[in-house]
Amino acid sequence: MKDAPIPETGILIWVRFITSIFSSSPSRKTFSLFRSGMILFLWVVSFFGVHPIVQDTVVLAEVEIYAPAIDRFAHGQKLQNWDRSQLETYQGRALADLLQEQSPVFVRQYGAGMLASPSFRGTSAGHTALFWNGLPINSPSLGQSDWSILPVAAFDQVNLQFGNAGALFGNEAIGGSLHLQTKPKFSDGFHFGLTQQFGSFGTFNSYLKGDFSNSNISSSTRVYREYSKNNFPYKDLGQIGTPEVNQDHAEFEQVGLVQDFAWNVTEQSQLKAAIWYNQTNREIQAVMGSISHDLQEDKSFKAVLDYYKFGNRSVWNFKSGLVKDDLLFNGSLSQTSQYFLGTDWDRTLSDVWTIKAGVRFSYIQADLSSYSTSDQRIEAYQSANYQLNDRLSFSLNLRELVYQDQFAPFTPNLGMDWELWKKENQQLIIKSSIGKGFKVPTLNDRFWEPGGNPDLSPEDSWSGEIGLEWNSEGNVNWRNGLTYYRMSVDNWIIWLPQGAVWTPENIKHVSNQGIEYLGEVSGEIFNWKWKGNWSYTWNRAITTQGIGETDPAIGKQLPYTPRHQANAKFTLLKNGISAFLGTFYVGERSITADNPRLMSSYQLFNVGLAYQDFKLKEISVPINFQINNLFNSEYQVLYLRAMPGRSFQFNLSINL
Amino acid sequence: MKLKLNQLVGAFALSLILFACNDSEPEQPLGAYEQGILIMNEGNFGTNDGEVYHLDPSTETLTPIIFEAENFRPFAGLLEDMVPTNDNLYLVANTGKVEIVDAGTFKSVGAVTGDLDQPRSLAVVGSKLFISDYGPYDASYSTPDSYVAVVDGLNGGVVSKKIEVSNKPEDLFAYGKYVFVAGSEEGKVEIIDAEKEEVIKTLEVDGHPAQFFESNGRLWLYSTGSDEVYFQSFHMDNFTKATTNALPVANATGRIAFGNDHVFYLITSTGWPDYKDGVSRVSVLGPELDIDWITGSGFYGIGYDQVRDELYLSNSNGFQGNGSVTVYNEGGTEIRTFEVGRGPSGFLFY
Repeated sequence: MKDAPIPETGILIWVRFITSIFSSSPSRKTFSLFRSGMILFLWVVSFFGVHPIVQDTVVLAEVEIYAPAIDRFAHGQKLQNWDRSQLETYQGRALADLLQEQSPVFVRQYGAGMLASPSFRGTSAGHTALFWNGLPINSPSLGQSDWSILPVAAFDQVNLQFGNAGALFGNEAIGGSLHLQTKPKFSDGFHFGLTQQFGSFGTFNSYLKGDFSNSNISSSTRVYREYSKNNFPYKDLGQIGTPEVNQDHAEFEQVGLVQDFAWNVTEQSQLKAAIWYNQTNREIQAVMGSISHDLQEDKSFKAVLDYYKFGNRSVWNFKSGLVKDDLLFNGSLSQTSQYFLGTDWDRTLSDVWTIKAGVRFSYIQADLSSYSTSDQRIEAYQSANYQLNDRLSFSLNLRELVYQDQFAPFTPNLGMDWELWKKENQQLIIKSSIGKGFKVPTLNDRFWEPGGNPDLSPEDSWSGEIGLEWNSEGNVNWRNGLTYYRMSVDNWIIWLPQGAVWTPENIKHVSNQGIEYLGEVSGEIFNWKWKGNWSYTWNRAITTQGIGETDPAIGKQLPYTPRHQANAKFTLLKNGISAFLGTFYVGERSITADNPRLMSSYQLFNVGLAYQDFKLKEISVPINFQINNLFNSEYQVLYLRAMPGRSFQFNLSINL
Repeated sequence: MKLKLNQLVGAFALSLILFACNDSEPEQPLGAYEQGILIMNEGNFGTNDGEVYHLDPSTETLTPIIFEAENFRPFAGLLEDMVPTNDNLYLVANTGKVEIVDAGTFKSVGAVTGDLDQPRSLAVVGSKLFISDYGPYDASYSTPDSYVAVVDGLNGGVVSKKIEVSNKPEDLFAYGKYVFVAGSEEGKVEIIDAEKEEVIKTLEVDGHPAQFFESNGRLWLYSTGSDEVYFQSFHMDNFTKATTNALPVANATGRIAFGNDHVFYLITSTGWPDYKDGVSRVSVLGPELDIDWITGSGFYGIGYDQVRDELYLSNSNGFQGNGSVTVYNEGGTEIRTFEVGRGPSGFLFY
């Protein structure tokens, strides 16, 4: 929590003390400083009976709106975060690109701008939960999301949580979970921004943003359109002579609207709403050797309404939400609607104990070409933090989900953060957690006609991890984190043909283990701020049970799951000028579970140059230039799916 | 793969009689891939990893992915059919192309890449290629615009004409200047005049036509129904139906292998949800009728080595990875099993 304006310096120490308690509790204080100042003031008054001079006005600083922190009960768990400024480099690109280039997630891209699904810690696309402002937004029919139609421009904050977190985040958080948030502000006045982006292969993106806020009300509106002819040249391996041709069926257009609204109803309560509409029309890029001309239209409407009631060291939240997805593929429509209603209560009991308990009800309606059904889910969860001392804290999370008449596996999770030692400017932390995760069979798994299998069990997983984090601050700042994890996923669902009909079964058992290393170093030299960050991931994900005992997949790495991945980025900054060089490496991966055919590894480089301080009176005009795939490398992420070579991108913004 | 060898031999014999073919070329040594057995691996939908494996049955030497090995590029397609004619081998990919290789060396000699949708099979008449094609899917996954494409040139080229036929044409059979079309969905056999490039006659037949073959100097059609299979023969002078034999084999898939002494082997599958696959051993002219000769699951392709009297039965292993082939002797006893490519769907015995 930022320091609040304090009326009387005499009680400053006590306020600091209380602040420190408070900031380890209802997390990232984001309600208005005015109000928090008032709360502190009242505490001080009630604790000590001091009567400071009441000020009529309090200096209003720029304040974010309250949102419960992702990591509040996540002791022992690993998180990677990107804020608005880091996301800006990826403006005009999909979230899939950001995660592929800057995280250990492997993103299976079915072409440029095409379906992109995650593989996190060696799990499948449906094993990473996805949240938007706290709502789970994976498609209930597919049980996964297309990360290529999550434009970076639509969010202010992205958090990636690693590993099993079924207890904390519920369904599908097996490999991990991804949290997208919008973060409007209070007391920030009026802002307006327009960004125009031009790029190779007929890329033409436009973004418009308008914000208004005072101390009570905040409204933020974003409109975007991203368009690309996407006619990149590639070597067509499916044709005799492997000629270089231009992609002629990958055009896409994406338009969207994001509206955020927040209102401090009283000094103790806040109402927050967000709406996101996104529509993508795509020509589906064919696999080399195929001549398909598929067309896909994705329309998604999401809305969330939060009510927060702030009490004495407690926060009540009532949440309701709606996620409506329409997918039109070659004229065949799949519609799903999810309705959420939930509440939880977060309370700091003492310096030692913090608890949270909640319940969420979901109603799902699905109308697809082959079936119509509904599903109801209710889940209860509970979290507790226990802070033994300054250096050792624990989180215990529990969750039980019931869907229709079935119980998903009970999911506990226990985590620990232990500051092993701390010197003036250095600290070494051990993070460790053990827990369960689960995935309810998707609606397609259960109800697809023909072939759906209503008797499927949920997939369930166990995992444990231990990590070391070393931070050092000084002229040169260092951060290094090393994590080892193990995971086992049972009842893994796969679809198998029974004659012409494919049907899902709980067949596979997969054992994963891996090492993730993340490093960061930053400093300043000749007034140039510089920063380097890098990561390396080793991941072994092995089929331990397959189709029958003689399945050649047993003992082999899962398909499209690279054993090695790495990335690095170097950034320089001075007087508003910034430059970066980024690279990422994806190792060999097989296209099938039995590994007879391996795809070669690839490494790509991106560079960018930006000037932020260009000003015309009150108007700032940041400009930005970027080259992706600098060395024009030829590569495929998935077998025979062409990917673009070098591309250029130019951004021009006008900000008021 | 529908066993094309009989058909080829039949057509070749007929063409000798009809045209008194006299351009007997000097004997050339057979290429590496013109002897032994070619194993067709369809590949997986969306992955386009169809390929051809070669097996030398005498040494049991298996050579994988011979298209890629000989041409330094992936086959990049779903391999639906392999048709050997003259010196060429036509590899029909239902993903919209036909790759043409030299049958002996497997080196690419040409292709048909434009204007096809979902080609299924191919026949050669003179210097023309006739390619059966489902046509594009409509919104309800029907194929109302099926056709037979005509390409002028044995080494491929562009489609010069599309001859409209009934829905989902499968096998083609060249007979003189005519092409017989197995119209699988609507139970029709269309006869195309290869010179006029048009359908000159349409016959209504029993069941869903799957494959033509020549036996005892007659053209036969194998077609499937839900409870029976049909073997129908044709008068070749006036293109009318001659005989129809129905056998009580239920759930036949259309995949057939031709053994010695007029014995046929048919793959059956109950499909989902009772899922059981089988091989029925039947004969039209003889008394053979063993409906559950082999039972199991995952049966995908079938072929018969008439020289060694061995049945080759392939298993897709759920398309999760490579498939396998099990070889049976005449008595139905397993001899050996070995791994092949993805979705093994047929064989070509030289």
